[in-house]
Amino acid sequence: MEADELLERMARSLRHQIGPVVGEPFAKTQAFMASVVLEKVAGQLRCAADHRQADEVDRLALASDVEAAAGSNVSAVVSDAISALRLGEEGLSSLVETLYAKRDELGSDLFEQLLGRVRETLRARLDRQLEYSA
Amino acid sequence: MIENDRPMEDRIRDYLAERLGAAGLVLTSLERIAVGWSHETWLFDGDWTEGGALRNQGFCLRRDPGNALLREMSDLGVQYRVLQCLEPTPVPSPRPFFYEDDVSILGAPFIVMEKVPGTCPSPWRREGRRFYAEAADRGVLPASFTDALVALHSLDWEAAGLDFLGVPEPGDGFVRGEIAKWRGLIEATEHAIDPILVDLLCWLEANAPATERLVLVHGAYRTGNFLIHEDRVSAVLDWETEVIGDPMYDVAYVLSELNREGTDLLSNLVERDEFFRRYEAGTGIEIDEDLCRYYQLMYAMRSAAFWMSASDLFATGANSDLRLARTAWSIPVVLDRAARDLGY
Repeated sequence: MEADELLERMARSLRHQIGPVVGEPFAKTQAFMASVVLEKVAGQLRCAADHRQADEVDRLALASDVEAAAGSNVSAVVSDAISALRLGEEGLSSLVETLYAKRDELGSDLFEQLLGRVRETLRARLDRQLEYSA
Repeated sequence: MIENDRPMEDRIRDYLAERLGAAGLVLTSLERIAVGWSHETWLFDGDWTEGGALRNQGFCLRRDPGNALLREMSDLGVQYRVLQCLEPTPVPSPRPFFYEDDVSILGAPFIVMEKVPGTCPSPWRREGRRFYAEAADRGVLPASFTDALVALHSLDWEAAGLDFLGVPEPGDGFVRGEIAKWRGLIEATEHAIDPILVDLLCWLEANAPATERLVLVHGAYRTGNFLIHEDRVSAVLDWETEVIGDPMYDVAYVLSELNREGTDLLSNLVERDEFFRRYEAGTGIEIDEDLCRYYQLMYAMRSAAFWMSASDLFATGANSDLRLARTAWSIPVVLDRAARDLGY
């Protein structure tokens, strides 16, 4: 049995067999919450490999797109932040921070263009997270 | 928190008997109520004899358990001082009696205040929403809800001695102070900060508005955070996020979709046009909807910070309540709202 299936079975037991026979209100709530948490973890586990791959594909595509849009006229700080996108997820946050910090240097149009492209990637990433969070 | 084998009731009774000079104090109807995730709350009645006359007083005791939500920004000593300042004002609030930071008494700091009559239906439960829908039809409570906010925002906070809360620098000092406060809560967690939250924080800082008027802001003014007695607000509760700041900060919270469910009524209770009319007439302050939209993004950031802090309490083992563990999956949900409000 896969780990996510096992967790879902445990969640169903807690919700339908254990929770209903618990008398004390706080413990009953805890049993119900345990089932909710296990369901969420199961959903997250089930999606993990696909989401990790999609996140990486999107992030590398983002790196290429913002590199092309920024061209060679941006400062080393912005250029380094774009390059860091290829290294891992942390690069997303540092690029967002760098864009805001260098807004004046980039100018309004380029700032909006680059941030808009970053936001496309963040939106897709969030939509994947919402598959098991919402 | 310092553990003690003696029953809580005995320890409370001994403490109050000494403070009240009432050797024969008897406590009745003591119950710990399950409200919120911040401080522990006990309600009880006290009977004692004073000068030959029988005295009776209802009490509410709040204790800092040391592992509660928003602990970093909700010091009981500050709450006690705020309640002291509010006591002679028209703002409905519980009368404070004692504050103790001596942990040898009840194991943790606590405050004792009067037990105000009233109920506090949760707007997140079906029966609570039904209660507020019926109250909305009667029309008395919605007016009282608005009037209590009018009283709060009309208060001369300097005269009331509330400047100890800190007076923001002119301009955008209030907004920057709030962002810094909540950013601090975010950074105190062990969560990696989601890039959408980074975007939101940067956007808030880049667009920080100036504050033109300072009032006492409650910081979480909504149904569920006040007591209701005879269809009126009998006490505004949860003085944990109060601050001297922009009145639109509270108004934005009232207007926020985060605080209503399945209804257009603000905070599940108040018809929007009537709220605008009554608030503006009562305070003389015109509601700035653009500014409120800014503050609603601030509340999205606060919600993310709140859920990060809550889930962190469970993840770090500081608190074993599984409701806190569940909140980790609320973070993407509030970030979704923030992203939509930012245009993506």
